[in-house]
Amino acid sequence: MSENVVVETRALSKVYRDFWGREKVRALKALDLEIYKGEVFGLLGPNGSGKTTTIKLLLGLLFPTDGEALVLGKPATDVAKNERIGYLPEESYLYRFLNAEETLDFYGRLFDIPPDVRRERVDKLIKQVKLDAARKRQLREYSKGMTRRIGLAQALINEPDLILLDEPTSGLDPLGTREMKDWILELRDQGKTVVMCSHLLADVQDVCDRIAILHQGELKELGRVEDLLKVEDVTQVSARGLSPECQNEIRDVIARHNGEVLSMDNPTTTLEELFLSIVRDSEARPGRRVVAQDDKPTDPKPTPA
Amino acid sequence: MIQEKPLLPYWEWFLQFDADRWGALWHFFISLFILAAVALLLGLLIGAILYGPVKGGEKVYRVVANAMREMVAFSPRRIWAIAKVAMQEALRRRVLVAVVVFVLLLLFAGWFLKTDREPAKLYFSFVLTATSFLGLFIALLLAVFSLPNDFKNKTIYTIVTKPVRAGDIILGRILGFTIVGSVLLAIMGTCSYIFVNRALSHTHTIAAQAELPESTSYDKGHSHPLLVREDGTVVAEYEHNHDHAITERGDRYVVSQPLSTMQARVPQGGKISFLNRQGAPVAKGVSVGKEWGYRSFIEGGTQAAAIWTFDDIDDSVLIDEGDEGQFLPIELVVRVFRTWKADIETPVEGIIQLKRPGSDLKTQPEFFSAKDATIDRKFFPRKLVDTNNEPIDLLDDLVNEDGQIEVVVQCLDRAQYFGFAQGDCYIHLRDASPAWNFFKAYLSIWIQMVLVIAIAVMASTILSGPIAMLFTVSFILLGFQRDFFVRVATDAQEGGGPIEALVRLVTHMNLISDFKNQNIAYKLMVFVDDVLQFAMRTLAGVLPDFGEFNTARYVAYGFNIPANQVAQQLTIGVAYVIGLAFVGYFLLRNREVAK
Repeated sequence: MSENVVVETRALSKVYRDFWGREKVRALKALDLEIYKGEVFGLLGPNGSGKTTTIKLLLGLLFPTDGEALVLGKPATDVAKNERIGYLPEESYLYRFLNAEETLDFYGRLFDIPPDVRRERVDKLIKQVKLDAARKRQLREYSKGMTRRIGLAQALINEPDLILLDEPTSGLDPLGTREMKDWILELRDQGKTVVMCSHLLADVQDVCDRIAILHQGELKELGRVEDLLKVEDVTQVSARGLSPECQNEIRDVIARHNGEVLSMDNPTTTLEELFLSIVRDSEARPGRRVVAQDDKPTDPKPTPA
Repeated sequence: MIQEKPLLPYWEWFLQFDADRWGALWHFFISLFILAAVALLLGLLIGAILYGPVKGGEKVYRVVANAMREMVAFSPRRIWAIAKVAMQEALRRRVLVAVVVFVLLLLFAGWFLKTDREPAKLYFSFVLTATSFLGLFIALLLAVFSLPNDFKNKTIYTIVTKPVRAGDIILGRILGFTIVGSVLLAIMGTCSYIFVNRALSHTHTIAAQAELPESTSYDKGHSHPLLVREDGTVVAEYEHNHDHAITERGDRYVVSQPLSTMQARVPQGGKISFLNRQGAPVAKGVSVGKEWGYRSFIEGGTQAAAIWTFDDIDDSVLIDEGDEGQFLPIELVVRVFRTWKADIETPVEGIIQLKRPGSDLKTQPEFFSAKDATIDRKFFPRKLVDTNNEPIDLLDDLVNEDGQIEVVVQCLDRAQYFGFAQGDCYIHLRDASPAWNFFKAYLSIWIQMVLVIAIAVMASTILSGPIAMLFTVSFILLGFQRDFFVRVATDAQEGGGPIEALVRLVTHMNLISDFKNQNIAYKLMVFVDDVLQFAMRTLAGVLPDFGEFNTARYVAYGFNIPANQVAQQLTIGVAYVIGLAFVGYFLLRNREVAK
């Protein structure tokens, strides 16, 4: 295995059996994957396609029926590999009777981190995930978004090299989703490897460098997001301040070169962008109704062709 | 005396290694070895069936190799972190309610626990039994549902994806719940101690009149006869297992609190043997009806006698009463069996003598009136007279070269019987601290609690909460009935193995008669029983004898719990924790955490 490969699976398969050993379902069929250092890798697929099974196999929560999974050069069932891994489960399965500080301190202890380092990191992470105001509240009182954030913080307590995120944005509001995506990109910028699985395609598209698409336990597609999504024979131009005459002229030019105009109109922004700008504006000027025309987003995204 | 089976010296018990007996340590290693071998074989077998021989073997090898590595990788910090969370979990599950229940129990106990006869025994049995049941129950509930809850809430996902070894999870839980349980026991113990002390405290009054009355006032179901000593001081005689100090204040006498409500007698036991009515040595006395009774009986008015032989008799055994000289303090419990009851109030008379073993030298018989099932005290002075009225010395004449002396007890009344067991006669060496004794009794309960926690945590690694609870409770109940279990397993019990016993039960057959029809069904039954009995014998090898851990009766009857016994129990406890942690490790490590 080369230096750069962080996760490698070879013919990884998982068959779920019932109590009597009868086969119930083949959740994963001979998956071959390589995930490289420093990339954000997305596992995509509909419900029941084997994404979560793959993550659980990589973590050693499940044992493979066949094949093997190597994580950071060690077998996935080896506990020692966990030293450099962070894991955010689908829902944050944390002790609800602990508060944020106690939670992070507890997980810090599990990594055998000495007290002074632990205290410093707990403090830093709580600030980073913006739970400073709620650090002494029990997790049972937390909202979904806060639970997610403390979940992320516990995954980062050991400053891991590889972070596995199971549905990181599920159940979050757009604001939370954006924050989560920003954190993921930040982690990538720090040179960490992120593996996430999700069925929220927009989120995957926004953050992932490479993706694998699974369906019914089989790998259907694997590659760089930009390559996979690139439409080779369509060119997209966006420009500002064109008069109707100029637009007609452009149409003529395209027609002269035997091209076909697919669409030419004013772009709309994404709903996410709109939502976020409204919320930000509202935070900046509370109590005022936002009028859409006044507050057009400054950086509209071009409409996909 | 309460100590029935002779207690081996600790190191002999622990390390002995010869043809007679293998010490506890070797027993532990052998059990561990057999367990490992069986587990390995089972693993290989299952591996071979599921994955084929080569791959199955490889998987088993990997499990073992992993275990070897992880065994040394446990970290105190991780164990402590998990213990701490276990404690917080216990508190969140309102474990302190147990204390409230216990205190309520004590508050109202006074209403129901009314007795005039041996109140100490009643109170001690009550508090110790209550503590041990409540303590074990709480420990069971805490430990058995903890891991299954983690699985159910999936909190275990975030734990096992950290560098936590399965051993850390198990040891941490055992440690955490043990600490919670210890705190509970400490609170209950303190409450109990105060309760018993207060319940037993009482005083008497002495009527202020010209002449000293015969006895103190009648309080708490008894009064003490008063004695005037030669020097003019007044003493209250020993009654109801205690005495009082009396001080003269002006023209009145003031009776103090009881001097010794709580006792911790240190006894030195002897070996019992019997003479039959013709005076010939026999192994047992006669039975008065109960075939398997614990005591056997000697007939009155005959030569039948019970003889105890005591070893190591020297100066140190005698108590020094200053001017009055040295005494050999013998205590005797007599069970009286009457075949005629003309006057139930009339006590049955007996004699007690000291005898030099291997010779006919005996002291003058000392007469006593036997009170049924109470402890009688006889102080033999150093200077005695033999049956020929010649003066003899207790140590010089009655103790033989081997340091032995015999105590001979006979019943005088014709057709009445005295019943004895080995523990019924002992030399009362001295008294240990009752508070320390009380603590030791709690230590025994504590060890039982740790055992319950360890078993429960081990069981809950693969079983769901209720099933794990069922398993643990069965294990404990079997442990309490271990003697019977072993008797059934080794065919020593009448009625045969489990299936045979069931058949006898269903067909209304008695325990002893043979099966008339030894057909194929009978043979099948015997075969199945043999297999079951083999399994039972194997299980018996690792089954803790919970009955042995019960030291409440020592405290209740006012005997010192030998430190040696507590040490042995502690060792057994540690051994079980280690063994169960091993088993728990393998079970947890090799189960799929996720579903």
